[in-house]
Amino acid sequence: MSIGTVEVIYRGVFQKTLAKNLCRGVVFAARKEGKIGIAFGRYGDSPERNGIPAKQFAVVADTEEELQEYLSRYEPNNNDVTIVADDTLCKGVESWAWSGLQPVNKLLRPGGTLLVVSTQPPGALLRDIHRRETPYQLAIVPGAASFSGMFVFKDDHTDVRLLGALARVAPHIVTLPSIGEAIAEQWKNDFKVTSAKQAHDATEASPVAAGQGGGLPLRSYDLPGSSRMTEGLVIRALPARGGDGGLDGGFTPGRSATFKKFSTRTLRPVIDFATCKKCTLCWLQCPDTSFNITAEGLYDVDLEACSGCGVCEAVCPVKDCIVMVNEAAFDDNASPWAAWRQDARSYATWRAGKLAARAPRAHGFHHPGQYAAESAPSQVRR
Amino acid sequence: MQATTREPLDAFLATQVLDAFKGVKKIPPEEYYSSGHRTCQGCESALAMRLMVKAAGPRTIVLGSTGCMYVANTTYYTTPWVVPWMHTQLGSSGSAATGTVAGLRALMRKGKMNKEPINVIAFCGDGGGADMGLSAISAALQHRDYNLLILLYDNESYANTDIQVSGSSPYGANSTFSPPGKARRIMHRRWKKNTAAMLAAGHPDCRYVATVCPSYALDMLNKVRRALSIGGPTFIHALDPCPKGWDYDPMYSHELGELAVETGIWPLFEIEQGKPALYGRSKQIAQGTFKRKPVGEYLRRQGRFAHFNDEDVAYFQSKTDAMWQQWLIPGVLPFQAA
Amino acid sequence: MKSPDATAPGKGQAPPGGTMSAGATEELISGSEAIAHACRLADVDVITAYPIRPYDTVMQYVAQMIANGAFDCEFIVAESEHSQFEIVKHASAVGARVFAGSSGVGWFYAFEALAVTAGLRLPLVAMVGNRALDDPGAFGVEHNDALAVRDLGWLLAWVETAQEALDTALIAYRVAEDARVFLPCAISCDGAFLTHSQSIVKVPDAAAVRAFLPPYRRGEKQLHPDNPITIAPQVNEDWLMEIRRQSDLAMRRASQVLLEAYADFGARFGRGGDPFIEAYHMDDAEVALVGMGTLAMPVKVAVRKLRQQGRKVGFVRVRWFRPFPTEALQAALGGVRTVGVIDRDYGFGSAFHSGVLANEVRAALYPLQRRPGVVSFVAGLGGREVTTDHVMALADRLWDTAADKASEQETHWIDVRE
Repeated sequence: MSIGTVEVIYRGVFQKTLAKNLCRGVVFAARKEGKIGIAFGRYGDSPERNGIPAKQFAVVADTEEELQEYLSRYEPNNNDVTIVADDTLCKGVESWAWSGLQPVNKLLRPGGTLLVVSTQPPGALLRDIHRRETPYQLAIVPGAASFSGMFVFKDDHTDVRLLGALARVAPHIVTLPSIGEAIAEQWKNDFKVTSAKQAHDATEASPVAAGQGGGLPLRSYDLPGSSRMTEGLVIRALPARGGDGGLDGGFTPGRSATFKKFSTRTLRPVIDFATCKKCTLCWLQCPDTSFNITAEGLYDVDLEACSGCGVCEAVCPVKDCIVMVNEAAFDDNASPWAAWRQDARSYATWRAGKLAARAPRAHGFHHPGQYAAESAPSQVRR
Repeated sequence: MQATTREPLDAFLATQVLDAFKGVKKIPPEEYYSSGHRTCQGCESALAMRLMVKAAGPRTIVLGSTGCMYVANTTYYTTPWVVPWMHTQLGSSGSAATGTVAGLRALMRKGKMNKEPINVIAFCGDGGGADMGLSAISAALQHRDYNLLILLYDNESYANTDIQVSGSSPYGANSTFSPPGKARRIMHRRWKKNTAAMLAAGHPDCRYVATVCPSYALDMLNKVRRALSIGGPTFIHALDPCPKGWDYDPMYSHELGELAVETGIWPLFEIEQGKPALYGRSKQIAQGTFKRKPVGEYLRRQGRFAHFNDEDVAYFQSKTDAMWQQWLIPGVLPFQAA
Repeated sequence: MKSPDATAPGKGQAPPGGTMSAGATEELISGSEAIAHACRLADVDVITAYPIRPYDTVMQYVAQMIANGAFDCEFIVAESEHSQFEIVKHASAVGARVFAGSSGVGWFYAFEALAVTAGLRLPLVAMVGNRALDDPGAFGVEHNDALAVRDLGWLLAWVETAQEALDTALIAYRVAEDARVFLPCAISCDGAFLTHSQSIVKVPDAAAVRAFLPPYRRGEKQLHPDNPITIAPQVNEDWLMEIRRQSDLAMRRASQVLLEAYADFGARFGRGGDPFIEAYHMDDAEVALVGMGTLAMPVKVAVRKLRQQGRKVGFVRVRWFRPFPTEALQAALGGVRTVGVIDRDYGFGSAFHSGVLANEVRAALYPLQRRPGVVSFVAGLGGREVTTDHVMALADRLWDTAADKASEQETHWIDVRE
C-alpha cells in the first residue's frame, strides 16, 4: 500500500506543455511498475495566463482504492515532491486574488523534496524560498527555465531531465528504468532517455533544516462569509489614487490590495532614471498600470504590480534606459526610484552590475527555426 | 387616465465634451482601470481597457461582456476598475449599453436621478461582438438618441476559453479548434469579418465608427473621446495583439500592433457622420507615402502561423493586396468600382 | 357573479371585488391589460418588448398607453428575447424599475438572461403568458415555460383572474424590490384564458398605489458614478457557496415580506387574502384537489357540484410556487385522506412520471406524521380545455384510490386519446 504525489509549479502557458509532459510521464512510468495514476491541472488556473503561476499534479498508487480520493481534488497537499519548473517561482505563488503569496514549499510534506530547475546554487535559492517549520530536501536540476508558447513547444529535454531527477529523489514513486521505458514508448526517442539518465545521475538533494530559508513577506486573508459579503455580487471599486509612497506631487493610481501580480514575473525592468527623457511611453503602454509618476515627471515602476512583460523595454526610445533583467537577481520589490533618489551613484553601480550579469532572455517567443541551433532538428515539434 | 407630461427626447442628447488630447504629454495621469487584474503578461486588451476609460474619465459606467476582459480582469472579490463596472453576458454588450442608458434616461427624465451626461461604454471581445453579440450591437446602434459606445476588443480568438477560432480570427490561424494536422494544415478557412465597416454601412444613425490599435495609444484615446462626445450610438473596433493566442514573446505586443497596421492587414479608419477616412499609417499607405511591409514580417513572428508554408503566406498577401488595390475604399468598402 | 361560498371569510379567496379606493375605476380588460395598468400605476421606468404569443398582448397595451401619453417610460422593442431581458437587467442595475415578459420558447431564448438576473439579485418583474414549448409550435397554455426557472432564484406566482394579475403585479414590485429580497419575479398568466379574455377589473388610482409601493432604492448596489462598484466579477470555488447561500436566505425571507405586503395591500384595497394558497372548501374536506392558474375555475365548479352530492371535497390553489408554500400546504392538506394534484405541465421521467407540482406537493407532505396519498393528474396541455366533468371524474378516483397505496403512485393523463 503506497501512494505518491508530485506537484508541479510552473509558468502558465509558457510551461503548460512541459508540465503536462511531466505529469503524464510520471503516470506512464508508474504503469510500467504495475501502479496506476492520474495527472491533472489545478482547475482554478484554467484558462492559463502567460506567466501567471499554475500547477499540475501527478498521483500514483498501488491500487485504485488508494487513488480514489485524489480523483476529486483540485490541489493535493502533503506532496512527496514539488517540482518548480522556473526558479523565479521560488519567490512564491500568487495565482489569483485573496490567495496571498503562497510559498512553493507550502504543500510539500515534511521530509519531501523540492526539485527546482535552476542555474543558481542552493544558498541563493534559499534566500527566495520561504522558511518553514519542518525540514525537507532541496534538489536542483541545472538549467535555464524552459519557456514555450501556446502552440510551438520548445523541446529542450527539460521534461525528461526532470523525470530522471524525480526518479533519483523519489524512487518509491517511479524508478529510472520505468522512466526510461515510458519515455521510449511515449516519445520514441532514445536521445531523451539518455537525457533523463544523465539528469538522474547528476541530481543531488541537500537537506534544508527547519527554519532555514528566507522569502518575501507573506500576505494571508480571512475570506468573509455570506453575511459579510455584499449581496448582489457587489464589490467596492478601487480608489482613484493610491498611497503616494513619498511621490509628493506625482501620481500613484489606486491598486488592488488583494491581488499583486509580481509572482507572474520572470524578468523585471531596471530603469536608468538619469537617462530617462520622460517620453511617457513606458507608462502609457503598460498593460498592468504598474508605473507611478514621480513629482519630477519620471516613471517609477511598482514592482508589486509589474508582471514583467517587457513592453516598457520594447517601447523605450533611449538605449538601455529600461532593461529587463532576470527576476532571480533581486531580493525585494522596493521602489527603484526611491533607491536612485537616495543615492544616484550607488544606484548606477548597482544597475550596471545587474545589467552586466544578466542572463539571456528566455521567454515564450517562438517561430519556426528559432530553436534549430539548440536542439536536434527532429526534436522541433510543429 | 391623465396624460403625463414629458420633455422632448432631445433634451437628453447632451454628452460630455471630451476634447482630443493634444500630444502624449497632455494625457492625464488619472487611471480608471488599474492593477489587480490577472491578464497575461503583455496583454494588449488590458491596455485597451486602460486607455478606453482613461479617455472617458470618471463619470463613466462600463459594461463588460464575458471574455478575457471579464474572467482574467475581475477576480471575485477584487477588481481593477475605479469607475463603476458590471458584467454582461457574452452576446450582450449592445443590450447592456442600451439598458444602462435607458435606465439613466428614464430616471433623469422623471426626476428620480440628477441630470448629467454619463458616458456608457460596453465592451465585448471578438467572440462576444463579431460573433454572438452582433444582433444586439446592431440593435443598439439604431437607438439614435441613446449616447453609448460599444468597444470591440479584438484579440482574434475566443482567448478566454483557451484560444478557439472566432469569426474574427485570421485565415489559417492555429487555435485549439483549428489545429494544423497531418491531414489538414489549414483548419480555419474563413477570412476575418470586417465588423466595423459592416456596422458603419448598416446603421445610418450611428454617427461614429473607428478602428484603432492600442499600440497607437494617443490615437486610440482620442478616438474614444470623439465617439463619446459626438452623441448617439457609436462603435470602435480595437485590434489587440494577444501574446498567448498569437504565441509570441509578450514584450513584442506593441510592435505586433504596429506591424498589423504597417503590413496593411489592419487598416485604421474612421467614419464620422457617413464620411469615411483612413488615418495615420493607413492613410500613408493609401497615399503611397508609406510602403506596406510584406505580411510575412507579421505572420512569421507568431506561433499561431508557425505551420504556414510559403503558399499560405502568399495567399494572405494576395488577399491583403486585393483589399488595398481593388476595394472601393481600402479597409472599408469591399466592392470594386463599377 | 360571486358564489356565496367564494366570499366566505377566512377562505383566502381573492374575489374580483374588494373595496374601491378613491379614484379607482372599473374596467373590462384582459389579464394582459391589467398588468399593463399595473406597470403604469407602478411608474415603471424601462419596459422591453419582443413579440411572441400570447404574452405580447401586454406590450400592445403598454405601447398604446405610451403613444397616448398616459404612461412615461423607456419602451424598447428589442431584437430578441435575450436582449429584451438583458436590457431590463442592466436598467435595473442603475436603479430603474423595469418590466418585461415572454411566453414559451421566447422565455427560453432569454434563459441565460433569466438566470443571471436572479444571480445578480435584480428585481425585474416579468409576465409569462404561459404557452406550450415548441416543437410543435402551439399557442395554448402549459406551465413548463415559467416552471423552468423554478430553482434559479425567481419568485413565481400563478394567478387566476385579471384582477389578481393586476394586484399581484403591484405586490410583486413591492416584494421583489424589498432590500431583504432583491429577487426577480415572474407572474404567470395562462395563455388565452387570461391573456385573451376580458373581465371586470378594479383599477386602483395612482396615488393609492404610490402609497403602497415605495420607490425602488438599490442603495449601495446601484451602478452609478457616485457609487463606484464592480458587479459580478468572475468567481471561483472559494466564493460561490456563500453567494448561493445569500440567494437562499433572500428566498427564505421573501415569505415574510410577502405576508407583510399582502396584509398592507388588503388593508388599503380590500383584496389580497392569504398570499400563498387559496383554500376552497377545505375545512371538512376528506379529499382535496390542488392546482394553479385558471384551472381553478372548472375545479371550483366541480367542487361545488360534488359537495351538492354530499361528497366532502376541497381545493387548494397554489398562488406562489416560489417560495413554495410548504407550511401552508401541510396545514391545509395534512388532514385529508387523499390529494389529487392537477398539473398543467409535465415532468417526463420524473418520480412517478408526475407533473412538477405533484412532486413538489409530495415532497412538502412527506414529513407529516399522517401523510395523505398523492395522486397525480396531467391535464389541459397545450391549452386543451379542462372541463368540470373532467374534474368530477378525476375526483372520483381519489375516493377509489384512498385505500389502495399502489395506485397513489399513478400519474393519470386526463382526456388524452390513447
